Amino acid sequence: MTGPLTALPPGVVVLAAALAAGLAGERRRLAHLLGGGTTALVTGWIWVVPEGTHLTGRLFGFDAVFFNVDPFSWIVGLVFAFIGTAAVGYSWATGAKSKQTAYALTYVGSSLGAVFAGDWLTLIVWWELMAVTSTLLVWDYGGKAVRAGFRYALLHGIGGSLLLAAIVWHYAAVGSVLFSAADGIVGTVPQILAALGIGVNVGFIGLHAWLPDTYPRPHIAASVFLCVYTTKTGVYGMYRAFPDGHLWIAYMGGAMAIFGAGAALLQNDMRRLLSYHIQSQVGYMVAGVGIGGALAQAGAFGHVFNHILYKSLLFMTAGAIVYSTGEENLKYLGGLARKMPVTAGAFTVAALSIAGFPGFNGFVSKGIVISASHYTFVKGPLVVGDFYTLELLLLVGGVGTFLSFIKFGYYAFLHGPYEGDEVTPAPRAQRIPMLVVAGLCVAYGVFDGALFGLLPFDVTDGSVVGRVYTTYTVPHIAEGLVLAAAGVVGFAALKTPLSKVGRVPDVDAGYNPLVFYGARALVHGVTETYAAVDRAAVALADRGAAARADPAPLDRFRANIGGSIFILMVVLGGVLAWLGVV
Amino acid sequence: MTDTLVPLLVAGPLLGALLTVAAGLLDDRAPPVVAVLTLVGQVGLAGWMGSRALLDGPLSNGVGGFVAPYGIELVVDGVSAVIVSLVALVSLGVLFYAVDDDPGGTAFYTEYLLLVAGLSGMSVTGDVFNLYVFLEISGLATYALVASAGTGRSAVAALKYLLFGTVAASLYLLGVGYALVATGTLNMADLSVKLAQVGYDSPLVLASFGFIVVGLATKAALFPLHTWQPDAYNDAPDSVSAFISALVSTVAAYALFRLLYTVYTPAFFEAVPVARDALVVFATLSIVVGSVLAVVQSEVKRMLAYSSVSQYGLVVVGLAIGTPAAVFGAVVHLVGHAVMKGGLFVAAGTVDDLTGARTVDEYAGLADRFPVLGGASALLMLAMVGVPPAVGFAGKWYIALGAVRAGTWPVAVIIFGSTLLTLAYFTLLIERMFVAPASPSVRAATDGGERGLDRPDRPSRVALTLIVVAAVAAIALGLAVTNLQVALEPTLDTLLAT
Repeated sequence: MTGPLTALPPGVVVLAAALAAGLAGERRRLAHLLGGGTTALVTGWIWVVPEGTHLTGRLFGFDAVFFNVDPFSWIVGLVFAFIGTAAVGYSWATGAKSKQTAYALTYVGSSLGAVFAGDWLTLIVWWELMAVTSTLLVWDYGGKAVRAGFRYALLHGIGGSLLLAAIVWHYAAVGSVLFSAADGIVGTVPQILAALGIGVNVGFIGLHAWLPDTYPRPHIAASVFLCVYTTKTGVYGMYRAFPDGHLWIAYMGGAMAIFGAGAALLQNDMRRLLSYHIQSQVGYMVAGVGIGGALAQAGAFGHVFNHILYKSLLFMTAGAIVYSTGEENLKYLGGLARKMPVTAGAFTVAALSIAGFPGFNGFVSKGIVISASHYTFVKGPLVVGDFYTLELLLLVGGVGTFLSFIKFGYYAFLHGPYEGDEVTPAPRAQRIPMLVVAGLCVAYGVFDGALFGLLPFDVTDGSVVGRVYTTYTVPHIAEGLVLAAAGVVGFAALKTPLSKVGRVPDVDAGYNPLVFYGARALVHGVTETYAAVDRAAVALADRGAAARADPAPLDRFRANIGGSIFILMVVLGGVLAWLGVV
Repeated sequence: MTDTLVPLLVAGPLLGALLTVAAGLLDDRAPPVVAVLTLVGQVGLAGWMGSRALLDGPLSNGVGGFVAPYGIELVVDGVSAVIVSLVALVSLGVLFYAVDDDPGGTAFYTEYLLLVAGLSGMSVTGDVFNLYVFLEISGLATYALVASAGTGRSAVAALKYLLFGTVAASLYLLGVGYALVATGTLNMADLSVKLAQVGYDSPLVLASFGFIVVGLATKAALFPLHTWQPDAYNDAPDSVSAFISALVSTVAAYALFRLLYTVYTPAFFEAVPVARDALVVFATLSIVVGSVLAVVQSEVKRMLAYSSVSQYGLVVVGLAIGTPAAVFGAVVHLVGHAVMKGGLFVAAGTVDDLTGARTVDEYAGLADRFPVLGGASALLMLAMVGVPPAVGFAGKWYIALGAVRAGTWPVAVIIFGSTLLTLAYFTLLIERMFVAPASPSVRAATDGGERGLDRPDRPSRVALTLIVVAAVAAIALGLAVTNLQVALEPTLDTLLAT
């Protein structure tokens, strides 16, 4: 069954390219050509790879599948490899060092490895590697990114351990780690552990603080990589763990959609705003996975595909602005539409896509999820007219998305004249990946059939999905337009209060203490615990040092020879007594 | 043919020790050369015999023509093949570091080779009294090596270890005495049969078990019998710390394994379940308390020492649970711990030589100044925490799996919890090394200026190579663990058959 197309997992090939890129050192052109060329080849490879479980073997003595291709892993792997190529091109254009791109490629490779794993054990190994490589990518930039990377690593370490515990427990119940051996994770406790462990990766509310904390800090090209892989691998893992969905996960997805969009609205740092939108958009995917069933899952994975396109495009445009102006904060930008027309155009496409405006790809896939939340999910406690609870959550999240992107666009490109230093338009090399991805965002929006062809289930076939989905119907388009209109009206109403608060100089914390501190609570909790341990260590060390300086109290703290032998005798007596000898 | 050469595994280093003394009389530079040559031979011999034992089944030899049960039998089976090869390889590696770091005199190298002879003997002996003899040889050599730093602290640490270790060895000997009274034999294979005949619930058998386990647990430094160990590791010369941390307790834990499964056999545990429970409780306590004590240490070598207390707890838990997966995991973790901890002690010694830094705080900013040293150490620490695919993960995974299969859920929970504790103390160090601004001692070491007179400005090539090799080995072993499992399966199946 092993042919040339299935001789190796794609992740390993990308890791080899990463090594080569790292060795290229100062030869930046070579490194990026190698990296981009490899990911491009891998994209083509995945496009034609046959479905099935390839490369079965044993890992740590358990049956394992290293290269598992099914419709779900296929679509995620395909877009991972494709966007890897675009992001390497963008890295080249923004002057990223070979070393950074090499780290990024290890991150891409381990994500691909995780997606194509056919059993939980292989998945967790790649999953942990992904956490390590992404931390390296963040750390590589130095400065404030280092601290954030530390917090990031700690949280993902805990998440990975939870998932590992879930897997062990699952194995004890099922007797195999293969995906094919059971329907998702089995048992209540393992399910809770898995949901929390994966929840760290997808940014469940309360576990999401790492997202806006980490992603705005590293190099602009590193952010493009980061925004793609960790969260989407999480969505994929969530599907594997809960292939039939789960009520609470669906609602958590809806809550994430609103929370992320709301928090994003209050941000002025461009990449921070975009980071909250990752949480919001991943909310739609998590909702799709949680609803379960063919329609919702097709929607969730379609949204994974589309989201990766437009979100990386958004990070590229934000990066292009940072690159050209050196400014991260929307308060000090404005009027860039004339200076950077291509960037402005690409941003408009991406913003309309993420917000779900008719004619763009986000409209198609978000529509599937919302349709599934209406037709194939419980009504829930809140019903307004013809709209049900989860559907309402997702629609309100959509309004929030419109609002915050109108804000982003308005303050970056339209508002007033630009007052900073001289601005050169984005270099051509930066424009190429942006235009390619922007083209795809429009193409998949207009020719929705092409997108449907990639999805795991055919949403236009009544025998596959419970309710046939049609993108362009009058009510659906009307819905998109109403959301957009609500966004415009809302922004007009909120603009003054928002900008008033915005005039408080340099106090991002002043915006909304509730959201800000809510988001930070976890991070603070972790750092405070750490500090407490640190303090305890220092206090104990001081005491130890004092004891060493003064030999008398030493006897109290540390067993001396006589004390040691006394303990030995006590233990011996205890053991003998326990054994029933004396 | 191969069988008759088994005694060479012990006789080789012993002879080498004698030759070292002789060579030292002729020329001051000769002892290290003799020691290196001896250990190179030992590595070759152990590797060859180990591979034969793994491929063709156990080798055994009755020394001096007497046959078991009266004679002294040496046995190399799958597990002892792994341990004796580990002893040979690690002692050779650390010897290079010792030569490079603090070239001692003739006495140092003689003691070093005696220690190797004792440890190899413990690995291959098939006789419980012989095990005591080798235990004492390695113990005496260790006391002398710890004291060879020549400082007051090292003398006190050596004395403490001497008294404590001797009492522990005597307890072991008492246990052997009870077994002899009960059965009239000292041969391990013979004992396993005769003990069953005497009856496992006989007070003599139970007492022998209690004395032997407490004696060996002291040598393996399980809480609360660990008190000798942090002092010995911390105050010994750097190369000696690396050596004894990697091997001495490892071989003691191996001896415990040998006694539990060759002499007392799983049938004993079946008959006396409290024995298993006592070991499990003892070991889990060790895991938790060792980690907690490691977190509160300020000196790096001491932190690593307490970390060993916790890791040996993990190994003994695996041995006590006794399912095939758990015992295999214990062996893997024993080997993995030796490689990783040895590498980390070499790293700690190198840092001390470079900067004088000994505490966690003084490690600040180290990785920026010495990226390879810092990176490889961090890799070893992460491997120890159990990040896959390193060997630390493989060992813990099998032990946890064994615990889950045996249905001892609390133990499984403690194993996972201990991973977080391990993460806690190693992230403390990694955070200092990679993130915090450089400490005064690290700055002084790299910016010149007030650097101490005899401080080198970059890590020695030998030490750096050893640390990198240890890091690579930690990962390679993790990847090769499936092969090891296949190789050890026949041995473990024989031992665990009830």
